[in-house]
Amino acid sequence: MIQQLFGFLSYYIPELICIVLMTTLLVLEALVKEEHGNRGKIIGYALALLSITLIFLFKNLGEAPVYIFHNAITIDPFSTLVKIIMVLGTMGAIFLSYSSKDIYTNLKSEFAIMAVGVLIGGMLLASANNMLTLYLGIETLSILSYVLASFKRDESTSTEAGMKYALYGGLSAGVALYGISHLYGVLGSIQFVDMITKLPGLEGTNLAIVMVSFIFFFVGLGYKISVFPFHMWTPDVYQGSPIPVTAFFAIVPKMAGLAALVRVSFIFFDGGSLLAVSWTGLMLLISAMTMTVGNVTAIGQNSVKRLLAFSSIGHVGLMILGIVTLNKAGVQAILFYGIVYMFMTLIAFYITSHLSDMYGTDSYDVFKGLIYKHPGMALIMAAVLFSLAGMPPFSGFVAKFNIFSVIIEKKLYGIALVAAINSVIALYYYMKLAKTMIFDQADGDVKVTGFTPVNQAVIVALFIPVLFLGIFWEKVMTISGNASLFIK
Amino acid sequence: MMSLGSYLIISLILFVIGLVVMLSRKNIVAILLGIELILNAAALNFVAYSRYVTNNLDGHIFSLFIIVVAAAEAAVGLAIVIRFFQIKETIHIDEATQLRN
Repeated sequence: MIQQLFGFLSYYIPELICIVLMTTLLVLEALVKEEHGNRGKIIGYALALLSITLIFLFKNLGEAPVYIFHNAITIDPFSTLVKIIMVLGTMGAIFLSYSSKDIYTNLKSEFAIMAVGVLIGGMLLASANNMLTLYLGIETLSILSYVLASFKRDESTSTEAGMKYALYGGLSAGVALYGISHLYGVLGSIQFVDMITKLPGLEGTNLAIVMVSFIFFFVGLGYKISVFPFHMWTPDVYQGSPIPVTAFFAIVPKMAGLAALVRVSFIFFDGGSLLAVSWTGLMLLISAMTMTVGNVTAIGQNSVKRLLAFSSIGHVGLMILGIVTLNKAGVQAILFYGIVYMFMTLIAFYITSHLSDMYGTDSYDVFKGLIYKHPGMALIMAAVLFSLAGMPPFSGFVAKFNIFSVIIEKKLYGIALVAAINSVIALYYYMKLAKTMIFDQADGDVKVTGFTPVNQAVIVALFIPVLFLGIFWEKVMTISGNASLFIK
Repeated sequence: MMSLGSYLIISLILFVIGLVVMLSRKNIVAILLGIELILNAAALNFVAYSRYVTNNLDGHIFSLFIIVVAAAEAAVGLAIVIRFFQIKETIHIDEATQLRN
């Protein structure tokens, strides 16, 4: 028994490292004196341990899937790849928090603690194999996110963002939990493997209860990835939070929620039953609405943070299309999209953060004539905007193309048309920002300063995948293809 | 003799009250109370199903976890509300209108 438990723990090393990291950070934070140099060391320590986590995750990537801790958790290549994306996103956000003025100097190491905590919740959610771990994952993710959103605690906008997040989050988690309770009652267990055995034999009232409960359950996950009816909080929270937190929210909770949604869809709705058909129908509808609402609302924005919030809603809408087909190629497309999306979002937020630190606002005006002030930065930002819009030769194009090819293969032409129209709308508002950067005249001739070589190097390093995955995508495609193989 | 049905009806009533409180009250503390009602409705469901239908301990364990998580959520929620009160000197939800289109 004990031996078996230790055997399980060997699969759980990445999470264990993160837990150790979080606790040691708490202790260090209390012990170390409040000087800026010490904060830097703490952040360096966090980044180092996260890199070790990454190494162990890469090692796990090739292993066969296992169920550990009495079927509570699955470690398979799919969850491992999602965790790699999340760890990279966390490292990016923590690095950004160190140089950003949006995070108070004495809170920089606390940001790392909270971010690692959210990461642990996300890892739990990505590999959840029963309703309890799934719920705990959502809540670990959410509760720490509320704190992160209100991190600029002297400003009313940030506090308001945290409060809105907490209220919407509490409501949706409660509704999801109510759905889960009825699922447990009808299906007789909280283990996914036991629940699916009861699904085919359902009739009459029980089937109706299960259908409604699944919709309730979807509220909780849909809120985390901010799909259409539950997206209202996203722009407000993204705008009110400090920029490193916004960058973090755009990546880690979204990827974790998507992973859980993929797993639940594949486990419960495999096959052509009435339940499965209604679920994929719901996904189609939600995806179309999410894309349209996200992209159309993004047009009129004047704050870049809000723009990126709406654009992330649009991207999630597109990613959900990979679930609709319920096949391996769909998951592969989602994973590839996730990897590319992570790099693009990080760069966009790095540059926005730097400009907003300089000018004290994140409106479009700070991007005016950026090409004259800092040509390199403007070119990279323009390339990332092209990539976000899905233009070749950047990686965003390949990611979008995969999703399109998956849905067209399933002969879902209607939704493909909606997605195509949305791509055009998205192109319009991304190009509006690119035009502001390149063709508009700058308000003054103040050069962009304080952009250290380290920051430049990091942005270039993040930019390399965005550029090269658009041309040499096969390797990463194979990795995400292998990761989608083992999903049940 | 209480049956499963009565528990389910009570939990449904709790759930609906929670929703109505959340949607209609303007006081943020009252809205947090609404969340607690919804969570308790779910916890009651779990225990009732566990006792009458499934005859395993999953439901009991789940409801214990719900209590723990609800406490954590309330702690964080109240801390943020206190911060909001210190800045705005009100806990009226209509005052939270700074972030908008």
